[in-house]
Amino acid sequence: MHAIVPDTFQGAVIVSIIDFFLSFLIISGIGVVLALFPLLNRVAAFLNGHTPGHGTHGRQKDAANAKSAHEDPLLPVAVISAAVTAMLDGAPNRVVSIMPVQGTAWVNEARMRQYGSHRLRR
Amino acid sequence: MLEQTLNFLQALLDQTGAVNFSLGNLLMIMIGCVMIYLAIAKHYEPLLLIGIGFSCIVANVPGPADVPGGPAMSALLYAVRDGGLFHYAYMGVEKLIIPPLIFLGVGAMTDFGPMIANPKLVILGAGAHLGIFVALLLAKLMGFTLSEAGAIGIIGGADGPMAIFVAVKLAPHLLGAISVAAYSYMALMPMIQPPVMRLLTTKAERQIGMGEIRKVTKLERIVFPLVIAVVVNLFFPPVAPLITMLMLGNLIKEVGVTQRLAKTAAGGLMNVIIIILTVAIGSTMAADKFLTVQTLEIVGLGLVAFLFGTGSGVLTAKIMNLFLKTKINPLIGSAGIASVPIAARVSHVVAHEENPKNLLIYHAMGPNLAGVFGTAISGGILLALLGAG
Repeated sequence: MHAIVPDTFQGAVIVSIIDFFLSFLIISGIGVVLALFPLLNRVAAFLNGHTPGHGTHGRQKDAANAKSAHEDPLLPVAVISAAVTAMLDGAPNRVVSIMPVQGTAWVNEARMRQYGSHRLRR
Repeated sequence: MLEQTLNFLQALLDQTGAVNFSLGNLLMIMIGCVMIYLAIAKHYEPLLLIGIGFSCIVANVPGPADVPGGPAMSALLYAVRDGGLFHYAYMGVEKLIIPPLIFLGVGAMTDFGPMIANPKLVILGAGAHLGIFVALLLAKLMGFTLSEAGAIGIIGGADGPMAIFVAVKLAPHLLGAISVAAYSYMALMPMIQPPVMRLLTTKAERQIGMGEIRKVTKLERIVFPLVIAVVVNLFFPPVAPLITMLMLGNLIKEVGVTQRLAKTAAGGLMNVIIIILTVAIGSTMAADKFLTVQTLEIVGLGLVAFLFGTGSGVLTAKIMNLFLKTKINPLIGSAGIASVPIAARVSHVVAHEENPKNLLIYHAMGPNLAGVFGTAISGGILLALLGAG
């Protein structure tokens, strides 16, 4: 082992200062590289847009998916009814109406359940 | 007749471990029990603490003297010594086989999306590593060599495999104490961090909410491990084995065509490694080896490193707030200490207690993941400067 710095307290201070500030610098560099990542999407979108037929094909696929989801409007009703019945332990129930949720309430609730269970000592 | 019977009984007793039982063993068994209690009752990283705690308990139940007049050795230590099953487990740690495999598994189970989505938060991954250098300087003042001090300091990076990696390179004789300190404190972070976080923030700061962050595309997720692997191999060869494996694990997760490999790396393989690692670490906690002044000094310095790392992360976030239009919750600063995802979860839970509508987990994962790179960078620079690169 050939240490660059002397094995003294002064050496320890030098190592600490160099390491701490270089870490900041390099991590910042990684941050800058990551900040450029959205450009990748633009490049990809540009390339996709110029690939003959690709954009049209993608739109056709989306339309097909949307169509299949709307083909059976009773499917979500069946899934939601099954979930409600399971939650109520099979007790008699009736789903009166179903509407899409605006916002992220369900996601937030799930996260709260998942992460709120940890108890911390004050 | 009576004398002969007593002699037989004495001979029988001598073949048990009871005669070699010491107060130190009792203390370490109690520590092992506390670890298991925290894992079961408080859910503090049970995957780590169950194995370490159990091994700690068994390693402190002395067996009969190995040879006449020789040291008492527990059943576990029999398994750990040359030729025993866990001897090879410990060799995996010592020969740096296990740390890269852990990173492979971590990569395969980690979503780097939060870090890619919010690049400005990666700075917290460096800010939360002041503890490394505080511990390093204190260790030097306490009489450790600079290499030993560097290995002890890296405990403050709160990254177990990295702590093992740097310790093996800089101070292999301290590997046992350093790995025990690193993993024990990582598991106990839900107890260590919150008081420091609350001390350094106001109630209003802890209640700062953070909005949604942008969605990261699959293309970005695939390019990320490739770019980082190249950058790390180019600029940080000393720690490249670990980060390269981390990125390989992440790539096989993100490409979407190697689910079998990703599932194995993040599941079965990782579980096997965790069992081996925790037993290997816990088995080094025998009282005669662990209850020494040097080990206790290292454990104490590890705690100092964690406390200062947590504090510096929070303060870095507060400094960033001075320059940011949209304020960030400073509690996510402490997540920059690495220890994925424990530190991020602590940030989330503390913020959630202050404001039940505050869900910081996704935001805290950004600095948390950056902390892995921060520790790797600090470790890499230490290895290079101290001549072990």
